[in-house]
Amino acid sequence: MESPVNAGNILKKTRARKLYRAPLLPFWVLLGGAALVAAIGAYPYYGSNAYVLSLLGKFLCYAIFALSIDLIWGFTGILSLGQAVYFGIGAYMVALSLKLNYALTHPTRFGGKIPDFMEWNSLTHVPGFMMPLYNFPLAVVAALVLPTLLALLFGIITFKRHIYGVYCAVITLAESLILQDFIIEYQPYTGGFNGITDYSNYAGPHFLWFILAITVIFLIVARTLTHSRVGTVLKSIRDNDLRAEFMGYNVANYRIFVFCVSAFMAAAAGAMYAAWVGIISFLDAGPVYSIEGVIWTAVGGRGTLFGPVLGAFLVKGAEFFLSDRLAEWWQIIVGGLFIFVVLVMRDGIVGTAMDWLRRWRRGSYRQIAEEADHTAHDLQADWRPEGAPRIGEEMR
Amino acid sequence: MAALLEVKKLTTKVSGFTILNGLDFSIEEHELRVLLGPNGAGKTTLIAMVTGQFKPYGGSIYFAGQDITGWPPDRIFQVGISRKFQVPNMYETLSVFENVMVSLRGRRRVFSTLFQVLTAAERDRIWETLELVGLADKANDPADTLSHGERQWLELGMLISSAPKLLLLDEPTTGMTEADKHRTAELVREIAKTHTVLLVEHDMHIVRQIGQRVTVLHQGQLLAEGPLSEVMNNEMVRQVYLGKGKFQ
Repeated sequence: MESPVNAGNILKKTRARKLYRAPLLPFWVLLGGAALVAAIGAYPYYGSNAYVLSLLGKFLCYAIFALSIDLIWGFTGILSLGQAVYFGIGAYMVALSLKLNYALTHPTRFGGKIPDFMEWNSLTHVPGFMMPLYNFPLAVVAALVLPTLLALLFGIITFKRHIYGVYCAVITLAESLILQDFIIEYQPYTGGFNGITDYSNYAGPHFLWFILAITVIFLIVARTLTHSRVGTVLKSIRDNDLRAEFMGYNVANYRIFVFCVSAFMAAAAGAMYAAWVGIISFLDAGPVYSIEGVIWTAVGGRGTLFGPVLGAFLVKGAEFFLSDRLAEWWQIIVGGLFIFVVLVMRDGIVGTAMDWLRRWRRGSYRQIAEEADHTAHDLQADWRPEGAPRIGEEMR
Repeated sequence: MAALLEVKKLTTKVSGFTILNGLDFSIEEHELRVLLGPNGAGKTTLIAMVTGQFKPYGGSIYFAGQDITGWPPDRIFQVGISRKFQVPNMYETLSVFENVMVSLRGRRRVFSTLFQVLTAAERDRIWETLELVGLADKANDPADTLSHGERQWLELGMLISSAPKLLLLDEPTTGMTEADKHRTAELVREIAKTHTVLLVEHDMHIVRQIGQRVTVLHQGQLLAEGPLSEVMNNEMVRQVYLGKGKFQ
């Protein structure tokens, strides 16, 4: 007689080695995404409102910015309240470069061939360290590389020392306050409070398509990244960094990696934003803008890829169409929206919708599993010892 | 036989309070060792020190002849020490399958995991692990839908899949029902056939079921070591750990 608990009984009998894996991208998502991209991309053909066109470009930049926050916050659990630092540096590099080149062909009132804000601050020459920015491609490279390097430095300083969570959020907030003060303080080089305006920007259908293409590429990159092995590790770090560390993962390195990717995306968004809008100010590098990005991500749904894009479009869109009527109330409405999402809809719009869908699907999976159980049970009822009669059958 | 894990004169202090006091301890390969001791004896601290969660105040830790004193936890894992926490620790939002997938022994660096794809062999290994711990039916469920006992088993499965040379199990039966406890004990015995295991356990029934060499800690020092029956008849052990009453 075997003991009641033996090795064989530890293992429950398994139905089948089967993974219910969602298809790479559901067909309707592909279809909806393509329709959305087509609708935005074709706007110059069916719409003639220049204001709407300019908004579309802006919103796409906001969407990339929110996506970059989602990568670190939604997928890795690092709340950054200073993501605008990377956006801002990217934007300032491009804006400065465009402004310097613009000043060459458009002299100021006093005939100087330097940007007007430099002249107002009694500079007579463009300072030497800004010379490389005359070269626009070089400026674009700087706009992408400098923020990424800064993120790397920041990551080494904080994550390597096991600083994360709330402390990390506070440090990133301080980071963006420092950059904002720096921009205001060094007015001769940055335009200070007035920001940088009056340069030839790249508005128009072609650049809109460019921004759209970059957005789609970043979405694909983010999707590939989060669904790869590395993405699973990132999510496991988000869920339980202690366990991940004791499973042999160097948690700090993974955090630094995703922080750099995210900074790169934010910087690209900033660079395109500056080139598209034609005005950039300290606000675009400040804490308020960083937190706005966090709100878009939360409203759209962190931990989902389309969520932040939707959040940026919805919140920013509502702001543009409502703020002329409700100017004083708008900030309160956004704040209230954030509180509402945190309290009632923690997964945001897309997250909640996906949760419903999953529950509905799981329900159907459960049904399949239960049916299989019933079949197995029926088969078992039919099982009988060798030579034993079937039910209702005479013994031979 | 050379010792797999050797702890020499290990001393720990937390805010002036000595938890481990010059502890000497060793495990040989293919051994299943049970670690006993009253609350505060330093069992969990010993595990935390070996896995690199805390830095020792004095003494040294050798694993397979290598000095691993003061190494970071991820490096210690990579030489082959896996640790089970007292409370189940897994990745709640990932599926059961993914939980094991992340734990598989393999490359751990950022850029080598970046393009890593799950091979057929790895997939089989995950399924084998899930079948061993009896969670194959729930492979697709998010880990936070599991019951407490299942979470403990999942973590055991995650550890096995990481193919460790030494498994440190810190009370894997906490919070389980009696039936589940016995199944876990059987599971541990099953695992111990192929692994070196150090098990911290409070429940004497489970200890008896596993019934191997036992080490008793008391106030950060080694009190007794030997086969279960011998240790249980040790007068000192009776006094400090089980009170002066009679064994049940």
